[in-house]
Amino acid sequence: MIQTLWDGFVQGALYAVVALGYTMVYGILMLINFAHGEVMMLGAYAGVVTLAGLAGSGAMASLGLPLCLCGAVLASMGVAACYGFVVERVAYRPLRGAGSLSPLISAIGVSIVLQNFVMLTQGNAPIYVPGADKAWQDALTGGWTAGPLSVQPTDALIVAVCVLLMAGLWLFVQKTRIGTAMRATSQDRVMARLVGIDVDRVISATFVIGSALAAVAGVLTSLLTMQAKFDMGFLLGMKAFVAAVLGGIGNIPGAMLGGLLLGLVEAAGIYGLRADYKDVYAFGLLLVVLIARPRGLLGERVAEKV
Amino acid sequence: MTAPLLELRSVSASYGPIRALKDVTLRVGRGEIVALIGANGAGKTSALMTISQIVRASAGDVLFDGRSILGMPPDRVTAAGICHVPEGRRIFARLTVEENLRMGAFLVRDAAVVAARMEAAFAVFPRLRERRMQTGGTLSGGEQQMLAIARALMLEPKLLLLDEPSLGLAPLIVRQIFDVVADLRRRGVTVLLVEQNARMALRLADRAYVLETGEIRREGPGAELLDDPAIREAYLGG
Repeated sequence: MIQTLWDGFVQGALYAVVALGYTMVYGILMLINFAHGEVMMLGAYAGVVTLAGLAGSGAMASLGLPLCLCGAVLASMGVAACYGFVVERVAYRPLRGAGSLSPLISAIGVSIVLQNFVMLTQGNAPIYVPGADKAWQDALTGGWTAGPLSVQPTDALIVAVCVLLMAGLWLFVQKTRIGTAMRATSQDRVMARLVGIDVDRVISATFVIGSALAAVAGVLTSLLTMQAKFDMGFLLGMKAFVAAVLGGIGNIPGAMLGGLLLGLVEAAGIYGLRADYKDVYAFGLLLVVLIARPRGLLGERVAEKV
Repeated sequence: MTAPLLELRSVSASYGPIRALKDVTLRVGRGEIVALIGANGAGKTSALMTISQIVRASAGDVLFDGRSILGMPPDRVTAAGICHVPEGRRIFARLTVEENLRMGAFLVRDAAVVAARMEAAFAVFPRLRERRMQTGGTLSGGEQQMLAIARALMLEPKLLLLDEPSLGLAPLIVRQIFDVVADLRRRGVTVLLVEQNARMALRLADRAYVLETGEIRREGPGAELLDDPAIREAYLGG
């Protein structure tokens, strides 16, 4: 039981990090960025390809696994951040002020393009984390056991990184000048302009940060399954979106809470009911919460803007 | 005569098919308080929005400090020295009072300058100091108006655009707000004031314009318009 909840917590932490990207973009643009799951997939590929390259060239043996993982994560964040910046410019900015449906369709289009791009260039078979390498074997044989709970090194790494990212984002948004400007922009975009905030730059920053976070989650996910596949972003992206809505979309602590809750409920369902209904629990939870609290768990009742 | 700080030359603007401003020409000189009065829907708010470039003028030109600012992004207009306190105050409701003021000084990079100006704002509005950690949405209407003006002053603008600062406020608070505006004159801040409370606005203003269905109908010194029988009839309740 405790083991199952821990596994759910690990998965939930990943959902939460991806959900942050949905919720930040929605908070500012009222746009559901359906391509966000694909960013995570792209990040996973960038990470796995980097790892494979390092392992293949023998660099992993000399540099050690932790350093290589850091390199892979940084590479994937860089790729995803560039991607987020460019997509916002190309696919969303030209549609600003064109109603809410057009950018949504554009987001779906970006998602399809990206999936197919990766499928065509990387193949439709999964690519694998170089797990046969000796460094991995050494790292994975560790782990800690406490009573009924055994913690794998990969799980511990995932939880640690996700918690750090969430805390870091929270501090950034609450304490820094740009973070405060993001909150101001999400509350009143016109007034943000009137105090001198360059709203376009704030939006760019939001996409870059959200994409980089999703990329880290992508790399961590591929460490969990030891592979990356071109269509992995769809379901995971959907789940993260559910997490964002659960917590109250547009609300940053809500996304964190929603992600963790979703992971735990899925795990509880797998343990207590049937494992193959995993996705049913996730979407069922969404239904129940939305019936009881249409704005999500932490969503605020805000007056409609005129 | 030196060039005015702000000049609207034959400005027209519309929302879709509805003409909001028709051939509006007005000037605001350095250090002046100029009032723009008129009935609901006369185009007063639209006039301010075409200055801060929230609404794009369809014809005419808007000059600030002798240069055209037409079509500039609103945040650049603010950076040039125009601060707009819009109708309804538009406080960032989920930011604290202090954060609202920091956002007012978003373009000021020097932390010491921001801190000094925040102290100055608290000296003018001691109520805001008491509420500095509260979120903007929890303030009363009067406190929000104080915060809106204080937020705009954080940038030490050359020109302050004030839209209906007295709207929905108790008479005592309105007096306090007008005292602050009068004080701005001593500090050399130029003010363009839009008001429904024409009597108070005309008493305070050096000059005033009367706007009617998007067109300027009258202009003159505040005191002169205050004594004008036609103006008294139409805007001051006889």
